[in-house]
Amino acid sequence: MAGLAASFGSGAMTNAICELEQSDTIFIIGSNTATSHPLVATRIFRAIEKGAKLIVADPRKNQIANFAHLYVRHKPGTDVALLNGMMKVILNKGISDDKFIAENTEDFEAFKQVIDKFTLEEASNISGVSEEDIKNLAKVYASADNASIVYCMGITQHTNGVNNVKTLANLSMLTGNIGKPGTGVNPLRGQNNVQGACDMGGLPNVYTGYQSVTLGDANKKFAKAWGVETLPTKIGLTLPEMFSGIENDEVKAIWVMGENPVVSDPDANHVKKALEKLELLIVQDIFLTPTARLADVVLPGVSFAEKDGTFSNTERRVTRVRKAIDPVGESRQDWAIIQDVSNAFGYEMNYESPEEIFDEIADITPSYAGISYERLEGPGLQWPCPSKGHPGTPFLHKDGKFTRGKGLFHAIDYRPPAEKTDNEYPYLMTTGRVYAHYHTGTMTRNSESLDFEIPEGFLELNPADAQELGISDGHKIKMASRRGEIKTKVMITDRVEKGVVFMPFHFEETNVNKLTNPAYDPIARIPEFKVCAVKLEKA
Amino acid sequence: MIDTIKQKISGLLSDASVKGVVALKTANGHVTPCVFQKEDDLDMLSLGDMQASGDTRYPLNKVLITIARQYPDDVFGVLVRGCDERGLYTLYRLNQLDPDKVVPIGFCCPEELAKACECKKPYPDDPVAGEKTKEIFQNRMEEIEGMDISKRFSFWMDQFSKCIKCYGCRNICSMCFCRECSLECEDLVSKGSLPVDIPVFHLTRAMHMADRCIDCGLCEEACPSDIPLRVLYKKTSRIMNAEFGFTSGIEKQEKSPLSMLGPAPDN
Amino acid sequence: MDYRNTLTTCTYCGCGCNLFLESLDGRLTGTIPCKTGPVNEGKLCIKGWNVHQFVQSGKRLTKPLLRKNRKLEEVSWDEALDFIASRLKHIKAADGPDAVGFFASAKVTNEENYLMQKFARAAIGTNNVDHCARL
Repeated sequence: MAGLAASFGSGAMTNAICELEQSDTIFIIGSNTATSHPLVATRIFRAIEKGAKLIVADPRKNQIANFAHLYVRHKPGTDVALLNGMMKVILNKGISDDKFIAENTEDFEAFKQVIDKFTLEEASNISGVSEEDIKNLAKVYASADNASIVYCMGITQHTNGVNNVKTLANLSMLTGNIGKPGTGVNPLRGQNNVQGACDMGGLPNVYTGYQSVTLGDANKKFAKAWGVETLPTKIGLTLPEMFSGIENDEVKAIWVMGENPVVSDPDANHVKKALEKLELLIVQDIFLTPTARLADVVLPGVSFAEKDGTFSNTERRVTRVRKAIDPVGESRQDWAIIQDVSNAFGYEMNYESPEEIFDEIADITPSYAGISYERLEGPGLQWPCPSKGHPGTPFLHKDGKFTRGKGLFHAIDYRPPAEKTDNEYPYLMTTGRVYAHYHTGTMTRNSESLDFEIPEGFLELNPADAQELGISDGHKIKMASRRGEIKTKVMITDRVEKGVVFMPFHFEETNVNKLTNPAYDPIARIPEFKVCAVKLEKA
Repeated sequence: MIDTIKQKISGLLSDASVKGVVALKTANGHVTPCVFQKEDDLDMLSLGDMQASGDTRYPLNKVLITIARQYPDDVFGVLVRGCDERGLYTLYRLNQLDPDKVVPIGFCCPEELAKACECKKPYPDDPVAGEKTKEIFQNRMEEIEGMDISKRFSFWMDQFSKCIKCYGCRNICSMCFCRECSLECEDLVSKGSLPVDIPVFHLTRAMHMADRCIDCGLCEEACPSDIPLRVLYKKTSRIMNAEFGFTSGIEKQEKSPLSMLGPAPDN
Repeated sequence: MDYRNTLTTCTYCGCGCNLFLESLDGRLTGTIPCKTGPVNEGKLCIKGWNVHQFVQSGKRLTKPLLRKNRKLEEVSWDEALDFIASRLKHIKAADGPDAVGFFASAKVTNEENYLMQKFARAAIGTNNVDHCARL
């Protein structure tokens, strides 16, 4: 999100999901859409039926790539090289939208210098995609009236993640494919309420609605609203920094609500050691997760089915969550738990309902100001929704009027991923999801039908590699990185190319995050889940 | 039409001839399947026409099965269109519902919806409300039947390969009540990766729908990949009709030729 | 008899599909996709169709747990809350507010995330709030 915020001024999906049906070209990069966001794939299938062109770039040939007019398999971690190559072609052929660039953007010259220096040959050598294919990708994308870019964690989970996103933003501005229906740069948020957690100030640098903690005005406003004299103005620690803080004896207590870092975070052994070192670990969850097992105190929260509230989806749409059944056992609604702890701690909270909390949010958050539970009956509202009569905002940056003023080009050179293969670790491993499971499996693996569908983890391996290793489908393999080792079953498939393996991360028994690299992007602090060097051995 | 139906339900509830009526209501700005147990709530009654006729239909017979399994001794009313009534007849035949415990409240579909569905029988036998309209010819199927065999084959394979294995076609279907499902039998359909096994997954389901499908179309409306499932099942129904003269749920008492033991039919 | 369909939003991915949770006498019995949901229009994926299944799993946590003699034991809410409040007060006094960190969540509601960062900032006095948006 940091990348989009820097380029456009707003770190969110620029367009609505349903608008994909109006695109005449859709460019998917680093998203296994049919598996991870199936209802977004629906719109893409419909666009294709209507005659839209689909272009897909992904190291792994996922299901939706089978429907692409052009699919390219670039090497993991080479997105910038591929995209800069495309932009080289666009500039060379003179098919950029110069009017849009002149009127609505800035810093184009610095960006152009980087592209001028870069050659198509380099792009091809680095990414492993032929010059011909790069030319075609560029032509199809640039010649569309309404081209939409869809991306996901395949773009962001890299040490160059922010640069990858800024490069996609460059591509959209270069061709004027932003600020209209069916265009834009559209990150698909992996979890149901990632957007909401960010919107609500679940970040170390901002309050709700991205109001900075370092700005005097916002700071004073929130202090007044919350009835305290002062609020801290120093930017807080990000997740990876909190783990370093634990090691340096600076962080002593952590409260984890509904997260499972032991399975979800890179270098799991390291995470576990850090959490064990804490003086106080509070875990609030619905199951005894591997993280909860390390806690000093575990608070039983409730699932979405047992509470009222709101979620904000990947297209910034706020919709209602409604209580269907009473909380299981003595579990309590999570908002009530925080209130109970706060009151015990001595900071008084007296909310009667989530609606009362929401009204407080709307009072102090301009982008949510016009939203109320009453207005959320029906289809929900997409923020920004600044006033009671405002209809919400399906797409951002209308007519090239970016949230930040002008769209900002970034001059970005290709940098290789943090970890390379060598003689000892000759394979590149990348991670992701499978269709029947979600995240760390806390919920899906406790669902009978989903556990039946895919009961255990597996490693996708190219047939040629399997032959070299002398391993057959369904057999066990030992996989190690510089950080850890696991044993897992093998699925032989040409979805992955020779030298590249893929593994889903939902399964704690075969926790692939024991292997992944915690090296992270310097700005967004997103770890490089998508590239890690491994060695394989018959188990 | 809705007032007539409201009166009918009101009457059934007031004289306690039913414990509840499975129907639709408008709540939270959306049409919602529900069970009416109090006359006072009937203000919220909906017939499932939000923007267009029948665009918010839901599998009410499926709701009825869920409730009837828990409350087998009680009588329930259920709101039915022509297809739903064919569904009830089929569910009686397959011993999933007891006709003595069900009071159908039938209404006819408007011509607009009958056309959109290409419906064979857009009305129940004994409607409480609405005018019976005539059978509509099956154009969509003719279109696909008109392709030559290799084109038809690749058409279907392309459609099936969009499947994301949500099982929505089965899950939404009132006629799919089996506790063990062939789609989950690993000897028939492998599991664990996408795309799903084609065409086995879809043809297995089509076989199972041959004497059950009542052409309500909810499967196709539930398909995230817009696969024209309804046309596929219309085709199996047509084969059943051509071979055995049987159409699911048209005759209340008729047994399925697929579940009868005895000599093979003459042809 | 108490049969209900509760309109809500799916708890899995970021699509935000609307669905009905079907319940009979307090037990969840199924999921029905909402036809008028703007994102999903009556459709769901395999995860959404089965989203009711984990909710009443026998493995759910039903009571607070507190580590005593290295083992997690069931305790009352009062005991758990008192323990947390006194430990947090102690750590804040001894090591300062920035010795406490909070993992908000991409899985709970907006209201709950709001409340957690409010507690972190207003009650503890730290901006150490983050969540796994990046994962």
